[in-house]
This record gives sequence, C-alpha cells and structure tokens, in this order.
Amino acid sequence: MMKPAGLFRRNPLIFSGSALAALFILAALFSPWLAPHDPWQYQQAFLRPSWEHLLGTNDVGQDIFSELLTAGRVSLVVGFTAALVAAAAGVAIGILAGFRRGILDEVLMGATDVVLVIPTLPLVVLVSVYLGPSLPGISLLIGLTMWPSIARVIRSRVLSLRQAGYVESARALGAGDWWIMSRHVLPNVLPLLLAKFVLTMAGAMLIEASISFLGLGDPAAKSWGMMLQYAFTRGGFIREMWWWYLPPGLAIALVIFALNLINLGFEEQTDPRLKRALER
Amino acid sequence: MEKHRHPQAAVAVKTGRYLLVLLVIITLNFLIPRLMPGDPLLNIIGEEAYYGAGGALENLREDLGLNHPFVLQYFSYLGGVFTGDWGFSYLYMQPVLASVMGHLGWSLVLLLPATILAAVTGAITGSIAAWRRKTRTDMLLTGGLLLAYSMPHYWLAMLALFVFAFVLGWFPLGRAVSGGLEGFACLADVAWHMALPLGVLTLSKAAYDHLIVRSSVVSIYGEDYLLTAQSRGLSGAAVLFKHGLRNALAPLVTVTAIQFGMLFSGALMVEVVFSWPGMGTLIYEAIGARDYPLLQYAFFIITVCVLAANLLADLAYRWLDPRMR
Repeated sequence: MMKPAGLFRRNPLIFSGSALAALFILAALFSPWLAPHDPWQYQQAFLRPSWEHLLGTNDVGQDIFSELLTAGRVSLVVGFTAALVAAAAGVAIGILAGFRRGILDEVLMGATDVVLVIPTLPLVVLVSVYLGPSLPGISLLIGLTMWPSIARVIRSRVLSLRQAGYVESARALGAGDWWIMSRHVLPNVLPLLLAKFVLTMAGAMLIEASISFLGLGDPAAKSWGMMLQYAFTRGGFIREMWWWYLPPGLAIALVIFALNLINLGFEEQTDPRLKRALER
Repeated sequence: MEKHRHPQAAVAVKTGRYLLVLLVIITLNFLIPRLMPGDPLLNIIGEEAYYGAGGALENLREDLGLNHPFVLQYFSYLGGVFTGDWGFSYLYMQPVLASVMGHLGWSLVLLLPATILAAVTGAITGSIAAWRRKTRTDMLLTGGLLLAYSMPHYWLAMLALFVFAFVLGWFPLGRAVSGGLEGFACLADVAWHMALPLGVLTLSKAAYDHLIVRSSVVSIYGEDYLLTAQSRGLSGAAVLFKHGLRNALAPLVTVTAIQFGMLFSGALMVEVVFSWPGMGTLIYEAIGARDYPLLQYAFFIITVCVLAANLLADLAYRWLDPRMR
C-alpha cells in the first residue's frame, strides 16, 4: 500500500490538482488581508472594472473583487464540511458493514442503496425551503445525502482486506474487532477515502452553488453561487456585466476541476489495470 | 447483488428495493412538513394558500385531517398519493398533479435526447482518448471535457446564452415556444428554442461519459488478451471497437442510470436560466411562492423518473453483458 505522500509526488495529476486547489484555499484563507475593500461596504453601484475596483461594483456598490475573495471561504467551507460529514458516515458504515458482515451488512447496505438513488438536489431544496437559510444546516444536509457512494466503495475494499494476511494473523493473535478495524483496516482504506473525499467535496460545492443560485442560501454569508444568483437576478447578466458573473463561476469551476484532477490521479494510481495500461 | 445468481431473482430484488425507495420518499414528504417548525397547515398548503384563506383555515385543517391521529393521517396521505389527489397549487391555480405533469413533459423533452446524444459523443471521444492515451490529443480532449464537467450547469448555460443569444443572436433568449405557430413550423420553433439548453446539458453529460468510457477502455489495454490480439496483427481501430468499446458499454449504461438524478438536477438549473417551462422552472417559481405541495411532488416525480431510469438500466445491463444472459 502506497503512502499518500508518495502518491502526491509521483502523480502529476495529483500534484497539479493540489497546487491549483491550494491557490484558492490560500486566497480564501487570507481574504481579509488580500481584499482591497470591505466586501459589505456600499459604494457607487454598477461601476466598470478599474484600478480602484478590479472587477467593478455590484448593484448595491460592493466591490466585486473583494466579494469574490470572501465568498470563496463560504463555498469552500460548506464543501469541506459536507464532505467531512459524508466521509465520516461513509467510512463508519462501510467498515462496519464490510467487517462484521451478516445481518448488519444487509441492513446497512440496504439503507445505503435506498439513499443512493434519492436525487440529492431536489431533496436538499425541499428541506432547505422549510429550514430557512442556514450555513451549518445546508452543510450537514448535503453531507447526509452524499455518504452512500463512500460507504459502498469502502465496504468492498474492506471485504478484500478481511482476507489479507496481517488481518488474519491479528485475529489469530486474539485481537478484537475494534482493534483490527481501527488499527489495521482504517489506515488501509485511507488513500481510497481521500480520493472519495475530494470527489465528494466537488459534488457538495456544486450542490451548494445550485442551492444558492436558487435563492436558498444565507444572505449574511455570501458564497460564489450566491454572487451568481445576484448577478443573474439583479441586472448583472442582462447588462452584460461579464466582470460580475464570470469570475465566481470560473472560481467554482477551477476549484472543482482541481479536485477532479486529484481524484483522477488517485484513480490511476490505485486501479492496477488502469496503471498497467498507462505505463505500457 | 452477487448473492442472487438467478437473473430474474436479481431483478425482483431490485424492483423491491425501488418500491422501498418510493415508500421512503412518500414518507419523507409526509413527515417533513409535519415535523418542521411552524404551523403544519402552513407547511402543507404553502404560504399563498395559507394567508389567502382567511377564515376558511379551520375548515382546511379539518379537510386535510390534521386533527386526526398521526397514523390515520399517514394512511389517508398514502391513499392521496396513489389516487392522484396531490392537493392544489395556488401558484398555478390548478391541481398539483396537472402542474407537475405539464412541466415534467418539457423536462423529458430536454433530458432524453441529451442522455442519448451525450452517450454517443462520450463513447466516441472517450475511446479516442483511451486509444491515444497520454498524448496531446488525450490531454486536450480529457482536460477540456473535465473542465466543462467541473462547471456548474447553470453557469455554462449563462455563458452559452451570452455568446449565442446576446452576442451572436443565433438563438432566442429563453422559453420553449414563440406561440402562434402550428404544425411543422411549431416543431421547428421548439427545436430552435431547445438547441442551447440541449447543447449545454449534452456537453456536461458527455464530459462525464467521456471520463467513464476513457477509463474503462484504457483499463482494457492493461489486459493481457489485448496484447495478444495486437500481436496477432489486429489493427488499432479494430482492437478499439471490437474489444474496447464493447467493454465500455455496460459501465456507461450503469453510470447513466446512477447519474440520472444528477443529470436531472443539472437540467433543473439549466431550465431556470433559459426559462424553459419544465420542472426546474416549476421548482424555481414554487420556491419563490413558497408553494410547498408543488415542491414535494416535484421531488416525488423526479425520484420516480430516477427509479425508472435505474430499472431500465438493470434490464439493458442484462442484455449487454453476455455473462448475465
């Protein structure tokens, strides 16, 4: 089993994806220092790009460039939190089902298959309409709908791990289930989990962007999707103010592109058939 | 499932599971408005109906059986779902069933051609990229499509609308029909209106299909039998189409089914940008009007479509994979 650090250096897809993602994460992290204006401050509305306002101002006169930097925080945090929730639930359910097998496996996988086919966006829309705009609520909700595919992949990995020599020997030495699951199984599913985490974060960010575009986001915590909603509904799009609606969409696309690159790299490294074909 | 070796049994098990999903969705639709904060009556009939009803509210509460025990309410709700008694939409001033079905048709008009066009496109570009793997052709094709796949559907729709409708003026700004036309002229008019949303949806879906086909065809090249075939002197194209593409078809069908919910969600967002009169626009307007019954049944009917897609894929998969026959 290769260490994640080794993968990072060896695969150009993982490397370039991580570098691109890091750029956006750093920009969001340091946005309070990087933003030239207070993103909430009202100035002159509908300004064109200039040195004072790199991307102009929006309908209420907020500096769009500063808004873009700050909004990245919300988009990234929602995506990250949702993926964290999904990964935690997915790995717990996947390991438990794959390791314990039997009736527990049947029940857990039955539930997984049920949740797997429920369309995520319409469900999240329906529940957020009732819940009202809430950032933690939306993150949790997205996370709770996205764990099934993680649970499935982890389970099948665990099923093959069960047969591995060291797991058998640990069991022969009298190790308990919890010991084996936490000490032997969990570390071995980590690279796979990382790949799925990245993919889930990409999916979660897309859902957040859609929810916000439909007007269900928290107006007090503007995200890239919400910037696009404002640009679309408050004249930015009709007035052809491309400097308003291009940057947030491009930011979402590039972050998700970076995450997809990382996932693709992981796939190449962990699928033996794929790896062999690409090296031939 | 690996345990059910008999194909008929496998389909029966899957159908059972889909029925279970249906029951879960119906139960969610029943529970959500009743457990959420606020007056359940408001949560069930929507804001416009609630505040417009005035003194009739108590009658409505009685009619909906909200004073009855929970279990009784559930069974009467279940009965309503199956008899088509889905409530009344105050947004469209007609029964929910009629509103939802009217919009569903327009969504499927976009979705079905997009699914097929994308599968064909993705199969072609994916095989080419796999054949020319790790060359510049592959990098450009796969990289470009991965970027397209990473864009929010609605943003891609905004870009397409800006370029092809605002700037070039080739296509209309939105909606599905100009009105006042009949017969062939009307069909041509609809085709003209749907070109852009269909193109956007097809591109997004084809990008994903491309990735699936590419990785499954590439992994075929890692198999030893393919080396044997090549050493026997089979040409590159013959290998590609005889072995590669055939092996990629089954995963493509499965993925299309699994992803149908996501494709539908993407279509919803594209519709909003183009004011296409399908489920997306219905949901968008229902959110604005807080017309809850519409939202619930939109969720319900989309799930039914996803389940139907999965069932179809199960059947197609059996037909495509010779081991399953």
